[in-house]
Amino acid sequence: MSDATSGGAVPAAGSRRHGSILQLDARTKKRNAKEARFRAYGLGAIIIGLVFLVTLLTAIVSNGVGAFQQTFIEVPVYLDPQKLDKTGNRDAAEMAKVSTFGYTPLIQQGLLDLVDREGIDAPFEKAGDMKALISASAAAKVRDYVLANPDALGETRGFELLASSRVDGYLKGRVTQESVERDRNISAEHLQLADALREIGAIRKGFNSEFIFGADASESRAEQAGIGVAILGSFFMMLVVLAFSLPIGVAASIYLEEFAPKNRLTDLIEVNISNLAAVPSIVFGILGLAVFIEFAHLPQSAPLVGGLVLTLMTLPTIIISTRASLKAVPPSIRDAALGIGASKMQSVFHHVLPLAAPGILTGTIIGLAQALGETAPLLLIGMVGYIATNYPDGISSGFLDPNSAMPAQIYEWAKRADPAYYERAWGGIIILLVFLLTMNIIAIILRRRFERRW
Amino acid sequence: MNDMTLLERGVQTDDIKISARNVEVFYGDTHAIKNVNVEIQDKTVTAFIGPSGCGKSTFLRCINRMNDTIDICRVKGDILLDGEDIYDPKVDPVQLRAKVGMVFQKPNPFPKSIYDNVAYGPKIHGLARNKAELDEIVERALRRGAIWDEVKDRLHSPGTGLSGGQQQRLCIARAVATEPEVLLMDEPCSALDPIATAQVEELIDELRQDYSVVIVTHSMQQAARVSQKTAFFHLGTLVEYGATDRIFTSPEDPRTESYITGRIG
Amino acid sequence: MSDQHILSAYDRDLESIQAMIMKMGGQVEAAIRDAVRALETRDSDLAMKVRVGDRAIDELEQLINEQTARIIALRSPTAVDLRVVLSVMKISANLERCGDFAKNISKRTGVLLESPPIESTAATVRRMARQTELMLKDALDAYIHRDPQLAESVIDRDVDVDQMYNTLFRELLTHMMEDPRHITACMHLHFIAKNIERIGDRVTNIAEQTVYMVTGELPTEKRAKADHTATETIDFGA
Repeated sequence: MSDATSGGAVPAAGSRRHGSILQLDARTKKRNAKEARFRAYGLGAIIIGLVFLVTLLTAIVSNGVGAFQQTFIEVPVYLDPQKLDKTGNRDAAEMAKVSTFGYTPLIQQGLLDLVDREGIDAPFEKAGDMKALISASAAAKVRDYVLANPDALGETRGFELLASSRVDGYLKGRVTQESVERDRNISAEHLQLADALREIGAIRKGFNSEFIFGADASESRAEQAGIGVAILGSFFMMLVVLAFSLPIGVAASIYLEEFAPKNRLTDLIEVNISNLAAVPSIVFGILGLAVFIEFAHLPQSAPLVGGLVLTLMTLPTIIISTRASLKAVPPSIRDAALGIGASKMQSVFHHVLPLAAPGILTGTIIGLAQALGETAPLLLIGMVGYIATNYPDGISSGFLDPNSAMPAQIYEWAKRADPAYYERAWGGIIILLVFLLTMNIIAIILRRRFERRW
Repeated sequence: MNDMTLLERGVQTDDIKISARNVEVFYGDTHAIKNVNVEIQDKTVTAFIGPSGCGKSTFLRCINRMNDTIDICRVKGDILLDGEDIYDPKVDPVQLRAKVGMVFQKPNPFPKSIYDNVAYGPKIHGLARNKAELDEIVERALRRGAIWDEVKDRLHSPGTGLSGGQQQRLCIARAVATEPEVLLMDEPCSALDPIATAQVEELIDELRQDYSVVIVTHSMQQAARVSQKTAFFHLGTLVEYGATDRIFTSPEDPRTESYITGRIG
Repeated sequence: MSDQHILSAYDRDLESIQAMIMKMGGQVEAAIRDAVRALETRDSDLAMKVRVGDRAIDELEQLINEQTARIIALRSPTAVDLRVVLSVMKISANLERCGDFAKNISKRTGVLLESPPIESTAATVRRMARQTELMLKDALDAYIHRDPQLAESVIDRDVDVDQMYNTLFRELLTHMMEDPRHITACMHLHFIAKNIERIGDRVTNIAEQTVYMVTGELPTEKRAKADHTATETIDFGA
């Protein structure tokens, strides 16, 4: 070869059929410009998306983070035996007869005494004036303490009590002295007193574990409301969804994918499953209402019914993702199993299913996450509007007792008039997102761990 | 001159293992195999050669009824294994496939350990009564697959971690582990490099002592190297069938001659 | 380079054709030896045996041809394998010619037995035959041991055979001039000598094939041609 070229001269520029490759021709320039434009569009789309996401997250966090903090008042309460144990024999049954109304004045008196002792200048004389500062839930807390420790009677104990939602709002900046002018519950003087108490350390803000683990409260006690019971409600619902949709979904998809003959009927079923995935969730809600509650007479607002409705909704998602992961298993694996004399079922259960498992699990978790965030169907079976004030006692009541669910609880709070609930709704959303994120991360980890190469 | 036949281990037996009579295969409306008659000997390597789409793989898959898994595939005519019709309604294809093992084009070990790959067949067919017996079967199969020395120290590492050639020999060992009588190989070396190919071919030549091996190959050279009998398929018909020596030195049919000399594809 | 092919059947194929060459070589060696001995001892039975035995050599060559064709068709040999197969084909052809020469010697022996022996030529013929026989043996040894040095020495030794043939040629001319009754015998003896000389040339070819098989190149043409008889003239006046 070398001797063939050594004698040849470099071709002159004129002999080239095309122009110099060092110069871009018009077509190339145009094509490059087009490509550059397209990249710019793509980048722009991603930036817009990111901006939205960041805005959303900032809004959620800035609005919701307040719900995780709560204002507490440290009040020394004299536990007057005259009022709390009239018989004087410390009999638990007798003491229990004293309702929270018996405790409220003692707490208010305690706070008033504290104000006097500290020499704070406040225009309040009556113990009842302190009502605006202290949460209505305080009495119940003191009462519980006394009933648990009857020996404390006659002594003065310090209690860390929830401040009222107005005081709480004042400390968080939601309420100002001007904004309470027309508020019947609280006056500017109260807020000044709160400032003074804060200076001496009697009022302070702390972490609000009650919000995460506590139960919902009535409309007037925003400071007491928590999402814990609703989390439990959601948890029981997810158990139901998992228990029903995974086996049904996987069985259905294995049959359709591996065993069913390919004919008109199976085609029709396939199309319908795809369509079901696109049906609005409220449709499943009304179906659940009609079938589970009106026809089968299952209890209203129960996580069991909620779970069944969400199962209907999740099934298509699981079937579609399971079929996709079964399809993704290379046919060579099936051939290999059949080739050494495994039956169809052996080949599916011994080889295909284990390989599809990570995909199935991921699909299931994504389906569960979707169900976890679903609100609309719960509207129709009464899980929204129910005030979840009590923890279910035991497993079966966990399924059958009325309860709420996380998104339903958030919706409920957002509906309420008190602006303190607005903050809680955002806080609830943070918790919901944390759950969803955790589930997605679990899905990713499962996929990473069990995914095998072939 | 008798001492001069040391050239080949030779075809040791004239027993007919598989005999196909007037076999026709249809894929939907396509007539894939047209009236094929062939007698495959025991303890012999028989190669099916021919251009792509000539039906050689289809015919191979008829022998262990792998075509059953394809809905639109219909088979007519008789294929007799030791005189018994494998398409008899009484025959269970799963049972048949335990007797007629198959090795595929792409090495397809299960994504399990090397041991489990080989042990799977004996397990589902109940060939071992206990762990010790199973160990023995696995070792024997891996030795038979000429891969024992390479994997004996890592039996419990995944089979997919082996090289392509090792994977294919593992697949052969897996097929051998169920103690089949016939081994079907569908282009077993097409995904392998020349060295791995040579190793597999050597293995096939050794397997001939115990099995009737039928191999489909795109490589005429491979057919020449490993087989004693060669069948040339063209457009769904069996054009010529005979001793490999003869087919490659003086074929009778002009189509065979054209194909093996590279004149038609 | 490993000696073994991964495909052991290939090794068996190559070994078997080379074994056939060795067998054929042995038969040819024996044929030459027997032919010359029959001439010396005036043994017509032995001469007959050589003539008959040539058929076996021919058959063996035929078999080698078939097997090499088969190997080329089935195994597509390359590089050293290809050279082995090609050299086997050429060597078998050369051996077959050697066998033919031995047969021709035996035929002429039959004629020579009818006339009285020509004294003094026998020793030269014997030496020539001995030399070519040794050359053939060494050539085959060189082949089987893949020894190009030995093969080269075989090629060099062909000069001696040529020179012996020259000597014999002149001797026979002298005999014929002395006594025209010796012409028939001398002509046959000359052809026998010529045959032995041709065997030497064929053996040289075999040795060349050995060099080619081992090194991939034919030896350069450097050997001196000592056969001058083609230009030999006799001065009858002398």
